[in-house]
Amino acid sequence: MDLSGRFGARSGDGVPFREVTGLESLHLGGGDEFRQMVPPENGGGFTALLELPPTRAVELLHSSSSSSSQATLHSLGTLTFPSNPILMERASRFSVIATEQNPNGNISGETTTSSVPSNEHIKTEPAETETSDQAAVEKQNNRCGKRKDFDKKVKSSTKKKSKSSEENEKLPYVHVRARRGQATDSHSLAERARREKINARMKLLQELVPGCDKIQGTALVLDEIINHVQSLQRQVEMLSMRLASVNPRIDFNLDTILASENGSLMDGSFNGTTMQLAWPHQVMETEQSYHHRQLQQPPPQQWPFDGLNQPVWGREENQDHGNDHNSLMVGSASLHPNQVKMEL
Amino acid sequence: MASADKPINTDVPEKDVFALHFLQSLSNLRRQNTFNSPEKTNDRVKKIKKAAYVSMARAAGGTNRLWSRALLRRAAKENNKIVRFPRRKKRVTCLRRRSNRRDPVEEEEAERLRNLVPGGGGMGTSKLMEETAHYIKCLSMQVKVMQCLVDGLAPK
Repeated sequence: MDLSGRFGARSGDGVPFREVTGLESLHLGGGDEFRQMVPPENGGGFTALLELPPTRAVELLHSSSSSSSQATLHSLGTLTFPSNPILMERASRFSVIATEQNPNGNISGETTTSSVPSNEHIKTEPAETETSDQAAVEKQNNRCGKRKDFDKKVKSSTKKKSKSSEENEKLPYVHVRARRGQATDSHSLAERARREKINARMKLLQELVPGCDKIQGTALVLDEIINHVQSLQRQVEMLSMRLASVNPRIDFNLDTILASENGSLMDGSFNGTTMQLAWPHQVMETEQSYHHRQLQQPPPQQWPFDGLNQPVWGREENQDHGNDHNSLMVGSASLHPNQVKMEL
Repeated sequence: MASADKPINTDVPEKDVFALHFLQSLSNLRRQNTFNSPEKTNDRVKKIKKAAYVSMARAAGGTNRLWSRALLRRAAKENNKIVRFPRRKKRVTCLRRRSNRRDPVEEEEAERLRNLVPGGGGMGTSKLMEETAHYIKCLSMQVKVMQCLVDGLAPK
């Protein structure tokens, strides 16, 4: 199985890229799917909005009389943390309208299940835990409302503006739930959502850069991040200079190169000596591999580079990284001394 | 309604991938005849550096990361080669610059970051930070690989 896979995958550089990028695109695709899943929920409200005749809307508006609505509202108002807010709301609205509009009967009830959110769009009803409202309003104004919806839901269901609960009883306006003492227009909502997004990524960066968790304030953290990136780039430059000076060196001892390179490439997980011992053992294990056959008989003549590189690629694609982690390193490490030999 | 931003993906492949790419590029460099002339060390340094960045971009992001795309494009332009990327899922370079997106304090820093991270000019601030995180991870991985190489080849 190994052999066939390896020979089959001699196609070159393109394949491993596709593998890796395929995985990554899956990730991104998953994200995109999420985004696409979200709009239809509130899109139903929009289309229902269009269908709803204005007269019916006005009826529904005025029919929510204060007394009965108060009662129902109070009962709904005590719901602080429904498990599924949208369903709860819709169920409650349905019951509100059904009780109030007895003459209209069930027809209105049926039609209003889908149009209930649309009513809310037409700046009607009082809000208790109006998370889908906020979502709808925001959708109208902003494109990237998904994260905001989630945030608003989480935060607003736990906090309530005292003012808005009073207005619930008097005026049927849509209330976008916001935290105490914060503006409620859509721009600031968008701004807030964006800020939260940025803060989340900032936290990510803080974890990455060493010594950033203790710093308070975003400006200093950003400074630190910039310094870190600059230092990394400088390190790359420094190392490339060193490599450039080392590269034309002619005399290499094969065994020491392999041993030291393997040891260092394992990042200290193997001792240099143990690696030397382990290496022939590794070679035995994967003895069927074409590549290792080459290793065991280091040819004095030139190795064709393509021949070398391709099997290494093939092995990377087809096998797990578990065992082949080591053999990969051995394979790649062998490139160097042979290269050096050829330069001679 | 889980938002799509929640799982911010900044995975980076293992060290082997980086090492492989880099070694391959180095071997390609060695093949060039002009490479080992001792006089022009600066050119060599530059070539190695470029090879390091390009191999890092290929190893880490491929074409799915904005910074790697920008890096590869920049490198290809220097060689007068045209790079074509497969069609992406989203439009990457749409400039969504609304006035209320700017925050004066952090925009200075963001500007500096944009100058550092390849491809930073075409990104919004939040996207920039995502890319920076991934870029930092890849850079540190590349530094590790190069360090190991240099240690391995250092004179004993």
